[in-house]
Amino acid sequence: MFHITAAFLLVGGSVSAGIFNALALRAERPSETAYLLGLVRVTLPFIYVGVLGTLVFGLWLWHELHFSFGALWIWLSLVLWVATNALGGIGGRHQERSRALAEKLADAGDASTPELQALLHDRTGNAMSWLAGAATIGILVLMIWKPGT
Amino acid sequence: MIAFSRPFWPLFFHILGGMVLFGALLTALIASLVAGQRPERPALRRAAFTALVVGIPAFVVFRIAAQVIYSDEKDVFGGHDPTWVGIGFFVTDPGLLVFLAAIGCGYWWLRSGKPLAARLVAGLSSVYILLLAIAWLAMSGKWD
Repeated sequence: MFHITAAFLLVGGSVSAGIFNALALRAERPSETAYLLGLVRVTLPFIYVGVLGTLVFGLWLWHELHFSFGALWIWLSLVLWVATNALGGIGGRHQERSRALAEKLADAGDASTPELQALLHDRTGNAMSWLAGAATIGILVLMIWKPGT
Repeated sequence: MIAFSRPFWPLFFHILGGMVLFGALLTALIASLVAGQRPERPALRRAAFTALVVGIPAFVVFRIAAQVIYSDEKDVFGGHDPTWVGIGFFVTDPGLLVFLAAIGCGYWWLRSGKPLAARLVAGLSSVYILLLAIAWLAMSGKWD
């Protein structure tokens, strides 16, 4: 129950952050972009509780349900969990840089610049967040499929 | 036994749909609550309504997958659905009215910008999030 609740918080919080981020990319004025990217921070407590809860309760269930120590799907899930956190962290830092620049521009006339647009639409930065999402879905697939059990 | 022998895809889509729906409602809740402090921000109205619209396909996938799973497993219950199944149907079927009302209020808020509409979006989203939470607790804990 707690493991699933944590998973809902992790995925739900990530979906919420993704929606605010997607809307920030489409915003016309830097003030709006900065504001929407600022709202991504409101979703972080949900994501952090989910990240921690899935690991703690997942490890507990591993012991409680007597899955073998060598269960490959659990080890793969742990690798993806680390990847999710690493990629999400990099993507988050990219969003934070975009938010800081958007805030600066909002204070200086609220007109967008090519620099902000380039940063907002930077493929590498955005790819990190998308890959973090893909890794999270990968964990969900493994948790439901449980290959080898 | 049932949990370990379920076909993968219906359960995957049921859970993923439920999680995306929760995320969409959470977004609408955050935007509508923040709007109480910053009502002049039209971006909040767009965020709430967009999120609620994102929730529609998530709900459809979530509900269809639930029905597929139920159709496969209802014989196991021998005509007496356990409590967790009943709770699930309550949240998806009568509960749909709460979700639809939230979408309607989200549209009203988007068009009018009225604070009352924002408060209604916040209230209805909170209620549906609570219902979803009860459902996932009941389903994962197999409340009988």
